[in-house]
Amino acid sequence: MTLLSIRGLDKSFAGARALSGASLEVRAGEVHALMGENGAGKSTLIKVLAGVVKPDAGTVEIDGESVTIASPADALRLGLRFIHQELSVVPHLSVAENIFLGRDYPRRWGVMIDWDGLNRAASAVLAGLGVDHIRPARKMARLTVGDQMLVKIATAFQDISLGDGAPALLYVMDEPTAALSAEESRRLFAVIRRLREAGAGIIYVSHRLDEVMELADRLTVLRDGATVATRDIAGLQKLEVIELMIGRRFAEGYPPRLAPVSAEVALGVEHLSTAYLQDVSFDVRKGEILGLAGLEGAGQSEVIRAIVGADGGHDGAVSLAGRPVRIDEPVSAWQKGLAFLPRERRQEGLVSSASIAGNVSLPHLDDLVRFGLVLDRAAEAEQAVELGRQVKLKAKGPRQKVRELSGGNQQKVVFARAIAGKPEVLLLDEPTRGVDVGARFDIHALLRQLTAEGKAVVLASSDLPELVYMADRVIVFRDGKVATIVSTEGLDQAGLAALCFGAPAAPSA
Amino acid sequence: MASALKTYGTLIGFVLVVVFFWIEIPDTFMTAKNWLNISQQVSMLAVVAFTMTIVMVMGDFDLSVGSMASLAGIVAALAFRDGHGVWVGVALALIVGLLGGLLNGALVAYVGILPFVATLGTLTVYSGLAFLVSGGKTIFGRDIPQAFSGFARSGISLTETVTLPSLTIVAALVLAAVWFTLEQTTFGRRLYAIGGNMEATRLAGIRVRRLRFFAFGLSGLGAATAGLMYASRVASANPTQGSGLMLDAIAAVFLGMTMSEEGEPHVAATLVGVLILGVLGNGLTQMSIDSYVREVLIGSIIVLAVAASSLGKAKG
Repeated sequence: MTLLSIRGLDKSFAGARALSGASLEVRAGEVHALMGENGAGKSTLIKVLAGVVKPDAGTVEIDGESVTIASPADALRLGLRFIHQELSVVPHLSVAENIFLGRDYPRRWGVMIDWDGLNRAASAVLAGLGVDHIRPARKMARLTVGDQMLVKIATAFQDISLGDGAPALLYVMDEPTAALSAEESRRLFAVIRRLREAGAGIIYVSHRLDEVMELADRLTVLRDGATVATRDIAGLQKLEVIELMIGRRFAEGYPPRLAPVSAEVALGVEHLSTAYLQDVSFDVRKGEILGLAGLEGAGQSEVIRAIVGADGGHDGAVSLAGRPVRIDEPVSAWQKGLAFLPRERRQEGLVSSASIAGNVSLPHLDDLVRFGLVLDRAAEAEQAVELGRQVKLKAKGPRQKVRELSGGNQQKVVFARAIAGKPEVLLLDEPTRGVDVGARFDIHALLRQLTAEGKAVVLASSDLPELVYMADRVIVFRDGKVATIVSTEGLDQAGLAALCFGAPAAPSA
Repeated sequence: MASALKTYGTLIGFVLVVVFFWIEIPDTFMTAKNWLNISQQVSMLAVVAFTMTIVMVMGDFDLSVGSMASLAGIVAALAFRDGHGVWVGVALALIVGLLGGLLNGALVAYVGILPFVATLGTLTVYSGLAFLVSGGKTIFGRDIPQAFSGFARSGISLTETVTLPSLTIVAALVLAAVWFTLEQTTFGRRLYAIGGNMEATRLAGIRVRRLRFFAFGLSGLGAATAGLMYASRVASANPTQGSGLMLDAIAAVFLGMTMSEEGEPHVAATLVGVLILGVLGNGLTQMSIDSYVREVLIGSIIVLAVAASSLGKAKG
């Protein structure tokens, strides 16, 4: 029986297509994996189901009836439940209270809460999912993330047991295991299987191919906003899935290397360890682009953040051009000739209330003062104009507010800031994410030019073609450790993807 | 229209208030003497509001300014009573203000307490200290040297009847210093960046904690300055005399914030906020209207101004 049927879903954001004709069909009693690269359209599709994003075109049917999901309340009423990493739980309340939040608690004498009754009811709900290790009186905050997730599922699950107008029940789980231990994941899978037996449909989004192969019944692959294929898991090979996800793309659209890599080491990292990283060592040479790859959260961003001291200190040694340096906060990184482009442009990169010039000059204000403390505004504007020209920024002028710019041009502002201090090493975390094709090419061309001038670039990216065609070598991270370091010579996307997913490498790689 | 109302609404409101009093009190309101009088009346509030602007630029608050002003006045008066000279008393009070402000800064920037909570705590501490060191009594009369109390009565004669008060000059100097600091120095531009996006600013290599620490120090220094001005004006010091300053200062900055496109504080706009409060107080007093009415009016104006500017934002 088909529970959910999505057809011809289209959605564009500011001219960029996120979904173009995506479709998905989920049956009752199945775990249906939804896969695709970053930017393939998975999260947009989920947001459409959640009533957060309104599609431009397309139909959604639940239980054979056409529905419109205009708000999260609609999604709830239609029996859709969403479980993701950022759980909305009330940490100060108990497990039982979280489960029964928003409905009447059992009472004594009409006024007092019947705590025993409440806890018993919560236990019953949890037991219905086969969960018996969580005490209902415990504060939510004291549970592990995995257990919180189970409670959240229980909350959604008791809606059916109470029969609150939930005709179909569909769980959408977005990377639920990203923060879970192996043991917690195992418990979650057991609960998911129970939900499946109870006749619910589960859309399961994950980058972890092994998990998907173990848990799911079928999978649908999205690429560039469209549905590429829906397959039964039985008899499917991992490599087939990877190929479906990345398709066959070409090296076109990447600027060629301008100069060979030097033998001199620009940045050396030895035995770097933090809460997320274990014993990471590598070096980057002048004129080299070193790619950092891996699944989301495998350690690529964390390495860059650790080197610039974004999260405080770390164990291990960092050296610049052979000289050991100590960097515990970003200010020392900039002072020592490291430039940093953070991953989240809006939260970590830009001061959007400020002008282009104000954003570009931010780390370099000390170079723009007269009489020791007065900001030389003319020089600041001049700097922004000059760098704007180098990065091919399209703007009205150096005093235009950054918030008025397109995503690609905003990214160029952050880029201009990074190169303004003539750094020797650039640490770039997803520099082309959410950037249009033109701006992306400009940024790539700039990287080629910088490396030709002898700069070293560390490039963390989830865009595999970008790594394969731009980087000289790629480090693949897995669970905070260096899994392997490979040359991109002769490497193709499928080979790199296989390394990221931890699958056996294709023979050519 | 909506955007004009958003940007100029507060200024238009100010002009309307002025015109209203000009019509209602035709003889005395719109005179140079009265305006200089207003400038003196608001000078203490102005100094606190200007330095408060420095911390509010970063998106922070300093609730302790009122009790710091009281404490500073008491410290100076106690120094006078012990026979120290004017400059010693003034210097001690300013040092106490700076240190108290830096303590706020340390709590906010290095310990990581929310400014609201940290300065609410120090508000109580400073107020308690003012009572403690003064024994809860007003220090006045012969304890306060003539040279100190005379300052607030002095000024520069412009004509035979019109004098530019010294307190007004102090406020103007503080205004100039804060304007220079916020608008012209790299220190000020960094504070604005922190207010715009603290995390991005930190990652761009700005020493956010150190800057917040010093900015709170300046706010404490401003509060102490205002406390000295007040003590000089009333030729006495008591442990509660600065308590009205804090709310009015924050109100003035908020009124000013409604005038900027990005909703960020600028010290020139804070001046308009201060003048709105000052003109209302002056005009209503001259019309012999109860001071409680003034409070109702001021509260309503703040809510109206902020509501108008956020309505404009929601639409734009």
